[in-house]
Amino acid sequence: MDLAAGEFLGFLNLSWQTALMLVISGVLMWLGIAKKVEPVLLVPIGVGCMLSNIPLSGAVEAGGFLAVLREAGIHTEIFPLLIFIGIGAMIDFEPFLQRPYTILLGAAAQFGIFGTFFLAYLLGAGWLNVLDFSLQDAAAIGIIGSADGPTSIYVATMLQSKYTAAIVVAAYSYMAMVPLIQPPIIKAMCSKEERALKMTSAAGTISQRTKILFPIVTILVVGLITPKATPLIGCLMFGNLLRECGVVNMLAQTAQNELANIVTILLGITVGGMMAGAEFLKPETILVFILGIVAFSLDTVAGVLLGKLMCRLSRGKINPMIGACGISAFPMSARVIQKLGLEANPHNHLLMPAAGANVAGQIASVVAGGVMLMLVPIFA
Amino acid sequence: MLDALWIVLLGMAIIFAVLGILLLVMTVLGKARFLKPKKKDTD
Repeated sequence: MDLAAGEFLGFLNLSWQTALMLVISGVLMWLGIAKKVEPVLLVPIGVGCMLSNIPLSGAVEAGGFLAVLREAGIHTEIFPLLIFIGIGAMIDFEPFLQRPYTILLGAAAQFGIFGTFFLAYLLGAGWLNVLDFSLQDAAAIGIIGSADGPTSIYVATMLQSKYTAAIVVAAYSYMAMVPLIQPPIIKAMCSKEERALKMTSAAGTISQRTKILFPIVTILVVGLITPKATPLIGCLMFGNLLRECGVVNMLAQTAQNELANIVTILLGITVGGMMAGAEFLKPETILVFILGIVAFSLDTVAGVLLGKLMCRLSRGKINPMIGACGISAFPMSARVIQKLGLEANPHNHLLMPAAGANVAGQIASVVAGGVMLMLVPIFA
Repeated sequence: MLDALWIVLLGMAIIFAVLGILLLVMTVLGKARFLKPKKKDTD
């Protein structure tokens, strides 16, 4: 036996990058456990980050368990798709079906994706060349603006971005920070009178036939026009069909509980496992996080602008703030609008229309992901 | 840079088109009484 201690003692192999990432993993777990910020995701991500930064563990090397999970679940895009079945089974689209026009707010709020993509591309290969952002990287960074973790993972992986881990962590972190990001922008754009605008309650309940046909029609319309979005919208709407059809309640329960929970555990720890210090700690990673805030902010601005237009066209029947819910950060965004509405007018309950725009944003963000996957290869 | 601008413009146009068509299909089905919401119980 002629082994040096450095060949088997992990701490002797710590670099500043791995040490810093171990601290970051602690911060992620602290945020999840002590501050209850997206604990379902940040705790597994924090643990995965810790495991991937322990030197000599072999967890992220070829054949290591985190590498196997990454290969099996992320590179094949299976994890985000399975999560979407669970999400679809959890979402009640009734608030949206009562106000179908909110789908346009969802469309407008996807501008954050494309605006941020443009900005990232200008900073990278498109013009300034100060950062290592290719067209594909810029598109993957822009998708943070989908405010949707599974869509971000799916698109970033499909585009083979170098920054997938940072993009996913940014997407999930900013979703939790929606209550901090959106209110100042909304207050700056909407006067107190606008925020106080009441919306009338919806005309009635939605029939079960509508709820059953809706996911099927959505798959057909979205899939036939933007086929690249089919896996995402297909899984989302499949989960929703399980929920609404009323004949497979066991499957619906499994999708929204066991399936979603198991895949969340695996996805979280795998994403954390992609945060190995040497790859993660680059100047570009910091820029990815800054661009993530830009994406969420542009989403909000574009949504509110269309909300203001709808408010004017409807002669004050639509509160412009619900435009901000066009991002798919569900239900955080709807809660923000409910709170702002009540602050401006204690009798102003906007939760249901805001939730309608919010679930419309979920559909719109999936379409936006598919559109990005469709357009980028054409121009690359 | 022009390519990126095209992606932005086309991307937003396609999103509005797809979701607009979805809205249209839902509206048409609603008019055809396939998707008519039930009246609220006013009692």
